[in-house]
Amino acid sequence: MNNQKANIIKNWIPNESKVIDFGCGDGSLLKNLIDQKGVHGYGVEIDHAKIQECVHKGISIIEKDIDEGIEDFKSSNFDVAIMVSSIQCLKEPHIALRKMLNLSKQCIVTLPNLGFWKCRIDLALGKMPVTPNLPSSWYETKNLHLCTIKDFEGLCESEGFLINERFYLNDKGGKNILSSAMPNTFASEGVYLLARK
Amino acid sequence: MKTSSSLIKFDNGIDLECGVRLDSFELMVETYGELNEDKSNGILVCHAFSGNHHAAGALENKKDIGWWDSIIGPDKAVDTNKYFVVCSNNLGGCSGSSGPLSTNPISKKPYGKDFPSVSVVDWVNSQKQLSDYFGIKKWHMVLGGSLGGMQALQWSISFPESLNKAGIFAAAAKSSTQNIAMNEVGREAIRKDKNFIDGNYLLHDVKPKNGLKTARMLGHITYSSEAIMDEKFGRNFQDITSKIDRDVDYQVENYLQYKGEKFSDIFDANSYILMTKAMDGYDASCKADGDLEQALSPVKAKLLLVGFDSDWLYPPKRSKEIQLAAMNVNVACSCVILEGKQGHDSFLFASDRYVNILKAFIEAE
Repeated sequence: MNNQKANIIKNWIPNESKVIDFGCGDGSLLKNLIDQKGVHGYGVEIDHAKIQECVHKGISIIEKDIDEGIEDFKSSNFDVAIMVSSIQCLKEPHIALRKMLNLSKQCIVTLPNLGFWKCRIDLALGKMPVTPNLPSSWYETKNLHLCTIKDFEGLCESEGFLINERFYLNDKGGKNILSSAMPNTFASEGVYLLARK
Repeated sequence: MKTSSSLIKFDNGIDLECGVRLDSFELMVETYGELNEDKSNGILVCHAFSGNHHAAGALENKKDIGWWDSIIGPDKAVDTNKYFVVCSNNLGGCSGSSGPLSTNPISKKPYGKDFPSVSVVDWVNSQKQLSDYFGIKKWHMVLGGSLGGMQALQWSISFPESLNKAGIFAAAAKSSTQNIAMNEVGREAIRKDKNFIDGNYLLHDVKPKNGLKTARMLGHITYSSEAIMDEKFGRNFQDITSKIDRDVDYQVENYLQYKGEKFSDIFDANSYILMTKAMDGYDASCKADGDLEQALSPVKAKLLLVGFDSDWLYPPKRSKEIQLAAMNVNVACSCVILEGKQGHDSFLFASDRYVNILKAFIEAE
């Protein structure tokens, strides 16, 4: 994960809060949050190799398919639930988001923007987009539900999720005038802090 | 790896949960590897119901390989080049530790059925004395499978400061109704053996072997899985020349007969009853009025729960229950579900993923 995105996420997380990272990968972000913010961190992952890396880092990791349901975690009273670049891989992203906001006060969600101009060019040329944020070819990707910034914010509106804060990042992982002014075309990725209404 | 056992006597005695006090007791112990100077590399292995102190290596003049030899040894998951590994026969067992076969100091006869009831908590308390014996203030890790996993869990509750990590494999925070039911069938087979004589068989120089054998045959079915039985035996008939019993038709019958027979030669029936009662009676939450979260709240060790997908005796959901309760009270805990077609017994087998996860956990900060 690039530094800019990691810093944005870190700044949204209160010290010593209880955090769950859905689709935590090799646990780098969680390790960072545990070391620097003293959080009680738990990760959820399904990939065997990544689970092993988490165990090796000394991170609490739960082997689980998020699509099978995360309701059980409600009793843990998390302060923040994180889902970095994973929401589009789930069978029912809108239901997963509802559940995340049900088990935690706040949610941090990041997602690749299919409306990004480079994706549009790929599509205009008749190809599936391949960009730094969408690196896999169509036959290898785990993405099931790609969307644009506009689509995602529309979903938040219709589901009644509050977007407390948001950052639009370009494909270098930074912010610039264009990506902030016209995110649906010039942002490669959206980073959101969501809350229940 | 060659190993040797030693019998260690504890003159401080122990107050058992049942209210009885043993003024002294002995534990049969094996160790592997070397204890380092600051005594920080100790790993305690707790055995399952019918296991014993002989966890790894081969004993002198014997081919008998330890029950967890695939996991413990030089360069193995529990690496004896790096760690000092200790395993003791549980109190009440029949492999050398104080138990029904020991002599009752009052009657000067074997305890037999009069050996007091023991519990998982008692075992952990006795093992704490064993750590003191070695001068180990904090185990790097305590681990075990099945009933051994229950002991590892109880260690983290009873002595939160005395271990860094706990490996709890194919275990549960308490036995299920079905677990108790299965154990009762085994015990009933033993009790109804004419040689059981109300538990006094030692005085009559006989053994309730038939009952023990039946109990073990049932046990083996519960430790196994449908898939592995199909794979190992299918519906194949037993070769007529190698039938253990003339009534045997299928290979699976012959296997159970063989395993049951072997077990009835080496295990003690009163010990069987004591051990299964301890398993049935375990409930990690019992001192917290049934609230597992509250029971786990003092835990400081990092927990690793491992469940095996073909285990129907202590299925993965029992591991998940512990993980969830621990997470609810901010205890560091991981839960991994492994493929293991050997059913409950999967925790005994060194599959690649199991070994890798275990190594990663042991070596992590």
